[in-house]
Amino acid sequence: MPNPDEQFAGLRKGLLEFAILKVVSGRTVYVGDILAALASTPFATQEGTLYPLLSRLRREELVDYQWVESGAGPPRKYYQLTAKGAARLDELAAYWRHLTDTLEQLGR
Amino acid sequence: MERVVTINLNGNPYQLEEPAYDALRAYITRAEAALAANPDKAEIIRDLEQAIADKCASRLSASKTVISAAEMQRVLDEMGPVQGDGHDSAEAKINEEGPSYGAHRRLYRIKDRSVIAGVCSGIGAYFDLDPNVIRLLFVLFALFTSGFGILVYIVLMFAIPSAHTSEEWAAAHGVVLNAQEIIDRARREADRLAEDSRKAWSRERRAWRRQWRHYGAGQWGGIFVHDAPPPAPGKPVGYVTRMFAGLFALVFSLITAVLLIAFLYAFFSLLSTGAVLGWAPPDDIPLWLAVLLLAIAYAAISSPFAALRRSSYATVSGSSAYGAGADGLITLVLVGVAVWLSYLYWPEARELIQSVPEALRGIGESLRDSRASLAP
Repeated sequence: MPNPDEQFAGLRKGLLEFAILKVVSGRTVYVGDILAALASTPFATQEGTLYPLLSRLRREELVDYQWVESGAGPPRKYYQLTAKGAARLDELAAYWRHLTDTLEQLGR
Repeated sequence: MERVVTINLNGNPYQLEEPAYDALRAYITRAEAALAANPDKAEIIRDLEQAIADKCASRLSASKTVISAAEMQRVLDEMGPVQGDGHDSAEAKINEEGPSYGAHRRLYRIKDRSVIAGVCSGIGAYFDLDPNVIRLLFVLFALFTSGFGILVYIVLMFAIPSAHTSEEWAAAHGVVLNAQEIIDRARREADRLAEDSRKAWSRERRAWRRQWRHYGAGQWGGIFVHDAPPPAPGKPVGYVTRMFAGLFALVFSLITAVLLIAFLYAFFSLLSTGAVLGWAPPDDIPLWLAVLLLAIAYAAISSPFAALRRSSYATVSGSSAYGAGADGLITLVLVGVAVWLSYLYWPEARELIQSVPEALRGIGESLRDSRASLAP
């Protein structure tokens, strides 16, 4: 049986933004934290995808970042959810529930 | 054994084996292409470079200071391909209109497979035809138009920019550039240079360094050398600018050639007949003064055109060093061709040219005479 992670790549791609907003909503995180948080999930991703996506979320004012000095190496960007981002996350969560409820109802 | 390239990633030096450097450059180039329409492109590229730097740093220690090609490949695999964000419809629209390598072809001269200046191999690449077919057509065209085709070739030689970089080379062939092709091409160029360098190792190495530095500071948008100011004459210029600069170089070469011919004509005409186009200088001005004034007038009129010509050549070649002697040489060749043609087909000009040795002898004699009259 083929790996569902490979089969439903398109589905996951659409939900990646949701997953990232969810990770960022918990605490302020830097890119390494986001990658680590997603690594063991079906949403595992890479810098090459994450940086452009975070850049767009910031442009849409859903997340914001602050430079924080790190113990080793150069300062890092720590991301957090904005009020607008929190509102978007609520919307997404509500819509996701609506979708899953609908799918449950169908075919009964 | 591999040559090592030192790069600057966000203010820290990293040493990479040359293939590792090529792979990194290819990755960044592809990232830039994918983000071409992204307003935050520069920032994202910086973030990506920083992430690459962090990954490299974790692989280095006091006893290991160079990143190998295999390690760089693993780092880039970890990074994953940079994906343009398809979510923004506006961005997607710009993306369609924006420049993308290989999406549309451009006519370039391709010098590494050229016979004369690469015009025919460039046209061949553009139309996907064997360059030899184009060469044959050009020769036939030149024969049937009794030489006019040669003139067309010369104009094209100036007007069509030559492909210097991998992107231009790809645009010339209309291929979509991927990382492997850039690396392959970089390898090919490196091999070619290495071969040459066996003959003149140090000279080639300097040229190579200069080339990379040129790429680093100019062509690659200062990816690796954020702090270094790009060398002013080496600044990369667009296709259209280079085309116009090429045409201007031709026009200014022609103007300076015409001025030089006019000067030579006036000079010898003055010496042999004492007049220019039937106009003789007033009697109270001696011949030497008239010649001196003529020379000063020529220098004053021609020097601005020569300066324009030089800067046009510098723009075409992308460096001031190249244009320094070559532009003057081309003018001299133009003058030589014009003199030769007029000697062949224009009796009056032939007469004047034939009188040149006599006029020169005249100068010599008058000098001898004056010396003899001065002698006691």
